[in-house]
Amino acid sequence: MAQTLIHAAPAEVHSAHAHHPELSFFRKYIWSEDHKTIGLQYLFTSLFFLLVGGLLAMGVRYQLAFPNVPVPIIGGLLPRWLVQESGAIAPAGYNALFTMHATVMVFLVIMPLLIGVFGNFLIPLQIGAPDMAFPFFNALSYWLFLLSGLVILSSFFTGSSPAASGWTSYAPLSSHGAYSGAQLGQSLWCVGLFVNGLASIAGAMNYITTIINMRAPGMRMFRLPLPIWALFVTAFLLLLAVPVLSAAAAMLFFDLNFGTSFFSASSYGQPLLWQHLFWFFGHPEVYIMILPAMGLASEILAVFSRKPIFGYKAMVFALIAIGVLGFIVWGHHMFVSGMNLLLSATFSFSTMIIAVPSAIKTFNWMGTIWGGSIRFTTPMCFALAFVSMFVIGGLSGIYMASTPVDLFIHHTYFIVAHIHYVLFGGSLFAVFGAIYFWYPKMFGRMMNETWGKIHFGLSFLFFNLTFFPMHNLGLNGMMRRIADPTQYDHLRSQQPINVFITLSAFGLGLSTIPFLINFFYSMFKGQKAGMNPWESTTLEWTVPSPPGHGNFDVTPTVYNGPYEYSVPGMEQDYLPQNQPAPETARIAAH
Amino acid sequence: MTILRKCPILVLAVKRVVRPAIVLAGFMIAVLVLGTVTSSAAERTSNLWWMPEVATKSGKQIDQLIHFIYYLTGIVFVLTQVVYVYFLIKYRSRRGVRATYSHGNNRLELIWTVIPAAIFIGLWGYSNHLWWNVIHAEPPADSLEVAVTAYQFGFSFQYGGADGKLGRSNVNLIGNNNLFGNDPNDPLTRDNFQSGILELPVDRPVRLRLNSKDVIHAFYVPQFRVYQDIIPGRTIDWVWFIPTQIGSYQLACNQLCGSGHYNMKAQIEVVSKQEFDKWYKEKSAPSNKALAAR
Amino acid sequence: MHAPAATAVRDINQPTPNVVRFGMLTFLASEAMLFAGLICGYMVLRAGAGSGWQMPEALKNPETMIKTVIATLLLISSSFTLHYSENGLIKRGKGGKLLLLSTIVLGLLFLGNQATEWLHLKNDGFWFDSAGIMGSCFFVLTGFHGLHVAIGILLLATSLTKALAGQVTPAKHAFLECTSLYWHFVDVVWVFLFAILYIL
Repeated sequence: MAQTLIHAAPAEVHSAHAHHPELSFFRKYIWSEDHKTIGLQYLFTSLFFLLVGGLLAMGVRYQLAFPNVPVPIIGGLLPRWLVQESGAIAPAGYNALFTMHATVMVFLVIMPLLIGVFGNFLIPLQIGAPDMAFPFFNALSYWLFLLSGLVILSSFFTGSSPAASGWTSYAPLSSHGAYSGAQLGQSLWCVGLFVNGLASIAGAMNYITTIINMRAPGMRMFRLPLPIWALFVTAFLLLLAVPVLSAAAAMLFFDLNFGTSFFSASSYGQPLLWQHLFWFFGHPEVYIMILPAMGLASEILAVFSRKPIFGYKAMVFALIAIGVLGFIVWGHHMFVSGMNLLLSATFSFSTMIIAVPSAIKTFNWMGTIWGGSIRFTTPMCFALAFVSMFVIGGLSGIYMASTPVDLFIHHTYFIVAHIHYVLFGGSLFAVFGAIYFWYPKMFGRMMNETWGKIHFGLSFLFFNLTFFPMHNLGLNGMMRRIADPTQYDHLRSQQPINVFITLSAFGLGLSTIPFLINFFYSMFKGQKAGMNPWESTTLEWTVPSPPGHGNFDVTPTVYNGPYEYSVPGMEQDYLPQNQPAPETARIAAH
Repeated sequence: MTILRKCPILVLAVKRVVRPAIVLAGFMIAVLVLGTVTSSAAERTSNLWWMPEVATKSGKQIDQLIHFIYYLTGIVFVLTQVVYVYFLIKYRSRRGVRATYSHGNNRLELIWTVIPAAIFIGLWGYSNHLWWNVIHAEPPADSLEVAVTAYQFGFSFQYGGADGKLGRSNVNLIGNNNLFGNDPNDPLTRDNFQSGILELPVDRPVRLRLNSKDVIHAFYVPQFRVYQDIIPGRTIDWVWFIPTQIGSYQLACNQLCGSGHYNMKAQIEVVSKQEFDKWYKEKSAPSNKALAAR
Repeated sequence: MHAPAATAVRDINQPTPNVVRFGMLTFLASEAMLFAGLICGYMVLRAGAGSGWQMPEALKNPETMIKTVIATLLLISSSFTLHYSENGLIKRGKGGKLLLLSTIVLGLLFLGNQATEWLHLKNDGFWFDSAGIMGSCFFVLTGFHGLHVAIGILLLATSLTKALAGQVTPAKHAFLECTSLYWHFVDVVWVFLFAILYIL
């Protein structure tokens, strides 16, 4: 190996080498320390978990539309914890279904897709670094994540029920096996989340260190592309919020298995302590799952509008504001919990305030497409849909911020609609867009546009058909987490809506198929992508697709901000970050 | 349609996406209509797509707030989406037309920071006013006190008996023998009586004393616009409301509490004052007799 | 691979020491939040328990107290020995190995005292599942901290082997530096824990 230069200045640190010794199969694909490979490992794994979580959702929807109707064909094959004698889903099995659906989607799909995949793949490439600061911990992070996923999924095969007290696992239901009937499943849930937390922390530590220390010369903080800014803020949220969940999960695990009494009221423990710890993590977690999506969508919007991001600095400050405020709004999940009423009023205020930066971002996205020259590619369609769906999710959030209204709708389908508008219509649409957008850089080939549009059209349609009516169900007082709505007088008249939602949800599930076919087919048969198929400005598009080990043959020098599109006085309508502006170009300060 | 013809991508989008989507949507709507017709759904007179009719005094004010937010968000929603779609059509990529080069506008940033902030703070003021002055105002002195204990998987109710007073209770005393944690040293508790349904007189304030025997449950009645978690180890006594509509309602547990959660409910009967007094007398008679015999 | 000195090529898989130190500090921020979560939980539980909070006799008696004070002093002094050991190994490039060894010994003594105290408490009927909420808090907090001390000792031992093999030099000392940051952190946490568990 080459000589190691101690205390090297960043400029020198980044000089990468073109010639690396050939790595063994194991080091190249299994224990790879190359950030790009790790990003792809995250991608494949979390897409697999996406299918798992999606299937669980189908089970949930089936039960809500057809309670007590035996599951056709496969009913007899389903495990005992899930179904009754008749082959219909049991109420306890239903509890496990939605608990695992949410756990898988939050911890094994959205987080790794946004942070694991794009954090790993993009950070070094977009800041002009050869790799992450700690490649070893990066690889470790992936394998810990995979382990956590396997631990959580293993609870399906224990013979007893997986965790069944909701993804929020409110104690003491979760902390006594006798209450929930899922002692082992809940314990595995705790272990899984603890390990998942370690993976997140290893990743976050890496991201922060890399972004602070390893930027290419000229890459000032205010020249960072917005996905990097978003991931940077997210990494701080992860770093400071996840350990609190780890502490809570450890306490829950001890309560379950070793007879401690943190959360049991009968021996002076406090059930509400769990909620405070969980939501102290849980609210930053909400932003962990949306900030990177905002960053990815911003990038795509700028590229295909052929315009600089409107209000770049406002966008950055909004991200930071959301990150900071995100730590003092957790109580809004607990207006109905029985905590101090004055606290509710206080948290209501901070919640109203945190809505402001989100509004700023929305207006800036609209400012970005204003006056643009919009190219409706598949990634752009998803990014545009992201903004639109995020507006709906954000507006429905205002209902919950208002304490008296929250009382009525907090635990109804209204909130189910709200989170899915933010997490599916928001985060997941942004992820799909980002996959279509960076696919050529990842695999060197383009995804098929037509099939991409079909995927987009179907998922956009079915997404709205599935989740919009849930607002109405919620206003009608349909409780969440009940296995059989027909038990209640006021919900029986709503059952047709439930059937409609379920059929739409099946459609939404099926709309993933064109994506999967396109994804795998294009990997081998897709049209070859050049270095810069989207005519984009950021650094990852200045290297071959896919980039070699070490990313840059020569450490790039950065001369411009990230989104210099349609600069007056230039023939070409984009100015890559690593090219000095021609003298004729009239670049405006931002 | 001229816009469509000019833009090949939109044409493609219409052909490949919008048309199949319309077909599918039509199919879905057909299924919905069919489902509505064939299902043995109970009749409901109020609007199927909106909230159930409100049946408490404070609920009316909550509904006003909901309507206010509904119109506020509705206007913002329509405005943003219309402008958004207009931009998408107007600024679609066209040959020879270059995008406007702009990094933003600080005055605009200021406007769309200050205006939302003002709206949100105003909304907080409105919400907070309702929170303190209506929902959590001091309950009137003549309130009917009812103790509610939730357990896996049901509710029990306790009334104050002949003296109308529940007496002291202690959350640590709650158990199978003393479901409401009544303090045995307090004579006021002795004539209390239990009930399996929650019988309430119309137009009289009701104050609840909520306890849980095991896990967290909730007291949720959508028509009352009332929700409160019931936590083990803590008595919650700040929930009160005034029922305004005679009728039958269902109390639902709305906090996941285990395998029987989906079916954890209780009947609520809101009746006239006369009817309630009659019921109350009948129910409190046995406990009065027992007291007299002692 | 031959890199001309001027271009200063470096193995991309080997981060430089100042970057490593930065990374370690971010990690410690995360660790601090872990303990903050546990300690906040402790405070909430203690405040809420009222009369249910019972300090056991075994913890209050002077013998336990004296032993714990001594163990605390040992742990604090181990931070100093480590600091001077670092001075020797990193700054002066000679000595410091013995001080490193004594840091390990001090850490082991602390851990040994914790273990005997746990056994003693267990015999007195004060255990995590039998002493109400105080027991739960006490053992989980000291347990988490003890685990950190144990990991710290492993890291110190690794540093010592590296030092003995001549791999800790003024030019190459990232591992020792991180270990030291970690060890100081664990010490500071203990001071907090000692204050809230034994004194307040």
